[in-house]
Amino acid sequence: MAARDFRNAEHLPNLRPDQQPASPEELPRQRNGVTPQMHGRYPDYNVLDESEHWDEITRRLVFERVESTPPIRFFTDAEARTLGMFCDLVMAQDREPKIAVLNMVDAKLFEGQLDGFRYADMPEDRETWRRLALGLDAAARQHGAGDFAGAATDVQMRVVDALAKGELRGEVWDEMPPAKTWKVVSRAILSAFYSHPWAWSEIGFGGPAYPRGYARLGAGQRENWEGAPAFETDPVKDTEQRGVQGT
Amino acid sequence: MSRRHELRTLLRGALRPPDNDSAFLLDVHRRAVPQERMARYDDSYPVDLVIVGAGAGGGTLAQRLARRGWKVVVLESGPFWDPDEDWVSDEAGSHRLYWTDERITGGSDPVELGKNNSGHGVGGSMVHYAGYCPRFHPSDFEVRSRDGVGEDWPIRYWDLKPHYERLELELPVAGDYWPWGDPHRYPHTPHPIAGGADAARGGAKKLGIEMRVGPVGITNGSFGNRPHCIYRGYCLQGCKVNAKASPLVTHIPDAIEHGAEIRAHCMVTEVVLDDASGQVTGVRYVSDGRERFQRADAVAVAGYSIETPRLLLNSTSRRFPHGLANNNDQVGRCVMVQGAPQVAGRFPDEMRMYKAPPPEICSEQFYETDERRGFARGFSIQTVGPLPIEHAQHVLGHGHWGQALREYMRDYNHWYTLGILSELLPLPENRVTIAHDVTDENGIPVARMDYSQSENDRKNIAYGKQTLHDIFDAAGAQDVLVTDRYAHLVGGCRMGSDPERSVVDSDHRAWEVPNLFVADGSVMPTQGSANPALTIMALVSRLAERLALKRAGESSAQRRHLPRRRSRPALTGADAG
Repeated sequence: MAARDFRNAEHLPNLRPDQQPASPEELPRQRNGVTPQMHGRYPDYNVLDESEHWDEITRRLVFERVESTPPIRFFTDAEARTLGMFCDLVMAQDREPKIAVLNMVDAKLFEGQLDGFRYADMPEDRETWRRLALGLDAAARQHGAGDFAGAATDVQMRVVDALAKGELRGEVWDEMPPAKTWKVVSRAILSAFYSHPWAWSEIGFGGPAYPRGYARLGAGQRENWEGAPAFETDPVKDTEQRGVQGT
Repeated sequence: MSRRHELRTLLRGALRPPDNDSAFLLDVHRRAVPQERMARYDDSYPVDLVIVGAGAGGGTLAQRLARRGWKVVVLESGPFWDPDEDWVSDEAGSHRLYWTDERITGGSDPVELGKNNSGHGVGGSMVHYAGYCPRFHPSDFEVRSRDGVGEDWPIRYWDLKPHYERLELELPVAGDYWPWGDPHRYPHTPHPIAGGADAARGGAKKLGIEMRVGPVGITNGSFGNRPHCIYRGYCLQGCKVNAKASPLVTHIPDAIEHGAEIRAHCMVTEVVLDDASGQVTGVRYVSDGRERFQRADAVAVAGYSIETPRLLLNSTSRRFPHGLANNNDQVGRCVMVQGAPQVAGRFPDEMRMYKAPPPEICSEQFYETDERRGFARGFSIQTVGPLPIEHAQHVLGHGHWGQALREYMRDYNHWYTLGILSELLPLPENRVTIAHDVTDENGIPVARMDYSQSENDRKNIAYGKQTLHDIFDAAGAQDVLVTDRYAHLVGGCRMGSDPERSVVDSDHRAWEVPNLFVADGSVMPTQGSANPALTIMALVSRLAERLALKRAGESSAQRRHLPRRRSRPALTGADAG
């Protein structure tokens, strides 16, 4: 595991030749609480440790996301298989522990929760998700696979990439514009994933702060309870400075 | 500096607005607006004015006219919020603050609605606005004469100026001395800014761009029974602290104290016209699944730029087969949004942009037309402070998903975000219409909004985006992420001096219906590059003054024989006379 200096930005995709990040496996494992896939950019920080400082209404809401995963009620089994794979790819959730993104999306659709607008050339949100499942399979078949969930990873990645770029064509995609489909479904996926406290711990977000608030606002400052990033402390210098003798 | 100003500077937050006690009527120990003394009117009682919508427009109008002795009922489709019980420090959990009923969005550059720009409940969109409260510039009221684009207003900046000053004291607004437009000061001192804003301000300075702190409608220091901001960063999710200004805390308490009734969970479905007289007689509305009718001498619609046109267009009669006050086909036209792309910059230090209010600093240096830029009008620069879900949408908007998205999000604490507000021009084909084949839960057809940009709009947005990019480069940002979006809504029932080209006159009165008023942002003929909330309030404050001049005291004397209202609020000593 190579130590990184996060004052540098070399790990960021825009600055890398292939626009892709280094493997998250180079980060430590999460040591306190859970993050998705246990990536440990802030390995000793667990936002849930702070929950006693949150107001009761917020605490109840956030803990429900951790403690109860809603069952799949809106999607069929076949749709759930395709779309579950799709959500995992969009959020790069390649192993446990995973945030149950599709279950959260399913709950929203099952309850009929709307976002307050629908594009004129798009069906309503529930129908969009069902057609997305059909469209992903159709696109995978264009690459010679039987369906999306069973396709090779590189085929799946190409299909998602084409959707994100609005380049899918044929069958479903001649009737439902792929670029707007991507907007609608990614909105729901991101909203589910980054509403989960595991994701907050992963990114070092301070989380709810009422009634406590924040006091240390300056560059490079943090509250005494906020998490330190991995590799911030050089163990050699640290032991010297603190006069700690190694054995 | 004048002696008077020195004194004001010394007193700052200790000064209370002379004619609005809202901040002092709130409870010290809970955030909800006290409603125990609120008046209740019978549906059959013809109130002086029924207002549709309790947002920036409706809330302010109710307060002003209740103070003048008018009997006012406000019908609000959403809840009467209790910040302690109803609001959370959470992005996804704040869904109920937005207008989430179905609406159709079309055109070549469709606008995202809902969370982005549409409120629901007492306080309206100001419950979840960032808090920026800039004034419009004097030039905004005459862009057609000055720049040959858009439309001139039938009023001038100077008509609104006294109302701006009054409202800045009522909200109150905090910020630096403001050198742009009509230069002015703010009643509260500027808030501290976070590291990211400081870095952006430094970068801008290197390019000769001046950024100043504020202006934000957030108390700096306690104000009445509203406490100091605690910099928790959830301004867009509803302020649980009561530090951020919205009509819920700035005008509704005083309106209630003076006898206005705020009736929540009441969806108005039709403004009813008496075909014989050509006057409106009240509004039909649905409450608890039951259809009701509130009689009123006059109706003010304050549902904002989509629901106001929708209500008028859905209110058909023999005189107005195509919608109330719409015989000239102007209702719903020239609806506007501001171009609001965001650019995020990456810094070596952690900036943790979730701290401090999202609105921190602002520049209006690019507000006015500069022919060298190649387009008319301009934009302002502001800070944004997105929380994780919003920032994830920004990263995805730049084109990253999967592992790249996750990597950028793990880097969240190193980023800071700026946005612009571009003045997009009013176009008649950008309009709100009725989607006849889609209805809401009450069976009323929903609104459709079509939006397309002009060439001038595209140039303005592109120039603004490049400016933000340059600021971050100058500030030493190591990487930038860019995403496109829109913000705010105005227009749709604009005021004007020509009935053929506007819906209401300079007193917000519908050209075709003498006792129908529009009292929200939809009356704006152009939008400047300023956030609209303060100007909506100022317009309505002026409207109230105009109405009071004509109507004060007249109605109650005329109708002693009519049914009494159900209950009377206890009046405080100050009002009893």
